[in-house]
Amino acid sequence: MDGEMKIGVYVCNCGTNIAKVVDCDAVAEAAAQLPGVAVARSYKYMCSNPGQEMIIQDIRDLDLDRVVVAACSPRMHEPTFRKAIQQAGLNPYLLEMANIREQCSWVHSDPVMATQKATALTRAAVYRVARHQPLEQRSVDLCPDTLVIGGGIAGMSAALDLADAGYKVYLVEREDHLGGNVARVDLLAPYLDSARDLLTERITRVMEHQNIDVLLGAEVESLEGFVGNFTATVRGQNGSPFRRSVEVGNVIVATGYKEFDASRITYYGYGKLPNVITSFEFEKMLRQGRVQTKEGRLPRYVAIIHCVGSRNPEYHTYCSRVCCMTALKYAHEVKAAVPGCYVSDVYIDMHAFGKGHEDFYRRSAEVKTLFLMYAKNDHPVIRKAGPNDGCEMLIEVNECLSGETIEIPADLVILMVGMEPREDSEQVAHLVNISRDKDGWFIESHPKLDPVATTTDGIYIAGACQFPKDIPDSVAQARAAAARILARIARGKLEIDAVFAEVDEDRCSGCRVCNELCPYSAIEFDEEKRRSHVISALCKACGACVAACPSGAITARHFTDDQIFAEIEGVLA
Amino acid sequence: MAIRVNPQLIDELEAYGAEDVSKCYHCGNCSAMCPFSQGDTIFPRRAMRQLQLGLEERLQGNLDPWLCYYCGECSEECPRDAEPGETMMSLRRWLTARYDWTGIARAFYRSWKTEVLAVVVTALLTGIAFLLWGFSQGSIGDYDGANAFLPASKVHIFDWALAGVLLFFLLSNCGRMWWFTLGKDERTRFAVGSYLRRLYLLPAHFFTQMRYAKCTRKRPWAVHLVLMLSYVTMLVLIMFFLRYMASGPAVDWRVHAFGLTAAAGLLATTIWALRGRIKKTETHYRHSHESDWMFLILLIVVTSTGVLQFALHRSGFDTAANIAYVIHLMGVVPMLGLEVPFGKWAHLAYRPLAMYFAAVQADALRARERSQVPVGAAQTA
Repeated sequence: MDGEMKIGVYVCNCGTNIAKVVDCDAVAEAAAQLPGVAVARSYKYMCSNPGQEMIIQDIRDLDLDRVVVAACSPRMHEPTFRKAIQQAGLNPYLLEMANIREQCSWVHSDPVMATQKATALTRAAVYRVARHQPLEQRSVDLCPDTLVIGGGIAGMSAALDLADAGYKVYLVEREDHLGGNVARVDLLAPYLDSARDLLTERITRVMEHQNIDVLLGAEVESLEGFVGNFTATVRGQNGSPFRRSVEVGNVIVATGYKEFDASRITYYGYGKLPNVITSFEFEKMLRQGRVQTKEGRLPRYVAIIHCVGSRNPEYHTYCSRVCCMTALKYAHEVKAAVPGCYVSDVYIDMHAFGKGHEDFYRRSAEVKTLFLMYAKNDHPVIRKAGPNDGCEMLIEVNECLSGETIEIPADLVILMVGMEPREDSEQVAHLVNISRDKDGWFIESHPKLDPVATTTDGIYIAGACQFPKDIPDSVAQARAAAARILARIARGKLEIDAVFAEVDEDRCSGCRVCNELCPYSAIEFDEEKRRSHVISALCKACGACVAACPSGAITARHFTDDQIFAEIEGVLA
Repeated sequence: MAIRVNPQLIDELEAYGAEDVSKCYHCGNCSAMCPFSQGDTIFPRRAMRQLQLGLEERLQGNLDPWLCYYCGECSEECPRDAEPGETMMSLRRWLTARYDWTGIARAFYRSWKTEVLAVVVTALLTGIAFLLWGFSQGSIGDYDGANAFLPASKVHIFDWALAGVLLFFLLSNCGRMWWFTLGKDERTRFAVGSYLRRLYLLPAHFFTQMRYAKCTRKRPWAVHLVLMLSYVTMLVLIMFFLRYMASGPAVDWRVHAFGLTAAAGLLATTIWALRGRIKKTETHYRHSHESDWMFLILLIVVTSTGVLQFALHRSGFDTAANIAYVIHLMGVVPMLGLEVPFGKWAHLAYRPLAMYFAAVQADALRARERSQVPVGAAQTA
């Protein structure tokens, strides 16, 4: 052990959180005896201002060069103490925390044994910190241009925010027009305003914006590089085929959803009974201004069936979220298009979660929509009506609110098909290196705190490609993604954590085991040198490659073998 | 077997006063607060649902609307303003029309013009007939005695004839009510023991309105009880003691004490109800169907002219008393001939019958349930 080393050890009582089980003074006293330790103190709240001041003062007065804080989990306060020692002039990586709260006082009740364990953990931290190296954070340049994949309402909204801020956007849309699924809709719930008006404004602005390069009939073929420095290859298929390479710093994936294929369900007779149609087919009727049966007659009875393909263990267990309000919208639109028409709304639960939705539900009841409740596992059955029934079809439902088995007349049945991930969501996920959940929706970085980013830096998701969403939620997520990217662009440079893995090229055999293993695609293979190389901007220092490398050629900074062995030695000493 | 819904029924009920039924989304607040909603009697929600779905057969056989006395609390607490109390009231009107085989009740409820026309024509015909008869055999200046304009003993014969017609229609409608609610159902049709055991409920409910007394608010019950007892007292006096009632000019306190008390009760409660309906003082007065006004107007006309002829006769104004008597009869005949069997009055028979039928129905269904439970299961239970 280096005789000149001056380590300060600070044992936190965390009020009584630690001190009621662990004898913190004893831990500090034991630590004081360890080689290289210049000072060891116990204090009520180390993270408090006086606590931090105490550390800073000691560094200055006693000329400490390394610090150990025995307290809570480093997830909680490592940034706090790193900042504190940095303030006192030390490199922030010359800190080590011993977790004597979550891993000791909170899980043990025997004070003697707990104190012994806390002492051992603190000793491990002292042994380890003695081997810490000062590390420097780096920054790389960031390309301010953004690639937006998908020209629906989410993609366009994100593109406009970025472009309005003065940055270049490449908006890639597979179809030959913008608008996505919203372009297939007539009116919007709950205010019954026109989807066309809403889109026209967006599309016009996008098409005319000098900062937005709209690539229609095009797909992203490949995406290379890492956050701040991606290279995307876009291939145009329609019209005059082209292949273009664009440099971008960030990517927003806004590829949307597709509707559930109603023909997968046999009991609703979709495809067999001509007047059983899907919600999107009905939207088409509405947009053409012709609500009628296949035979060209005005329907006297219209029935709407909810949760087709949704909330059903055989198809999708999740709720598609927009269908309930869309169904209520149909009730209004049918009554407006065919006065005197009776509308039955056959539902499981009415999910009216959004702003204005509950009022909309109420208004739909007031226009005498007949609401019928069926049980999740007891779906309605549609059959063709007889000549004397006075209608095209009869729907049999075990109606929950009355407890009766009833029969509803229907001339037109609208199936509220749910949303599902697009067929190529797996390829898209692979292309941009993000993950999908069990249903195929793209996974966000954190379900509550970071619903916009993904596990891959620089790749953001927006709209219904993440999960079924209505327009306000899709737009909110899209604009949030744009804001996140703008915040990054505003900083100019991209800060890269000092902790990442490095390949010792002399020892690397070029076996490429690590290439496929890396969950962040942070390791590339240099074909010329026949050696692997870690892209530090992408590396999250998980250590998978370090453990896997058969040649022992990879080292994770701040997690070197030397440091880990010292820590083990400290625990066992 | 699936029951076909009838989406039109809810429109049909609008004529009977049910306008907000479709707003109900079955939260069950009304059932939670109604003291009558117990066990399987999901009250008033079940009837609301049957109406929304248009399950006519079910509604026709449902006694629930009669078990409600309309205290109005459900309507006040309804988060959607679906007016469950008023819906039950409307269903009672609809059921009255359903029980009536002549179709007259239906015509009256669906068109107030028809009802007014029928009442006015009947009143005019009654007036003309009694005037012609009076002038042909008596003197307008004599209220009683040999030369009486409308001799009580002979009018009495007419009263009984009218009562016979009235009873025929009312009882035949009651028979239909039985058929719809108990008779059609094999489980309840032949529950003879129960029919006998529960018979006491009929007079008990009729005379005490004891179920109404169970409502959270007591005042509507008190008002209703006074109105009903006064009405029944007057009916008994007129049907059985008309001779003494019409005697005079001395006051015969043996009958007139009752008569004057009943008249005071009728006047007070009718005026109370009229004022309530005009000013919408209470929830159950907030909505008034034309039939409700007809009920009160006829009642106040008949009561006030009754009191008036009594007063005029005792004061020696026999001519005026005779005119008041003719007007009185012009009110009485449409009231008894049209309103009792075909209008709101019919509830005096249907409501106690419903209490009785409901008890029989519950007995029969319980007994059936018991007999179906296997012995072993009963023991383990």
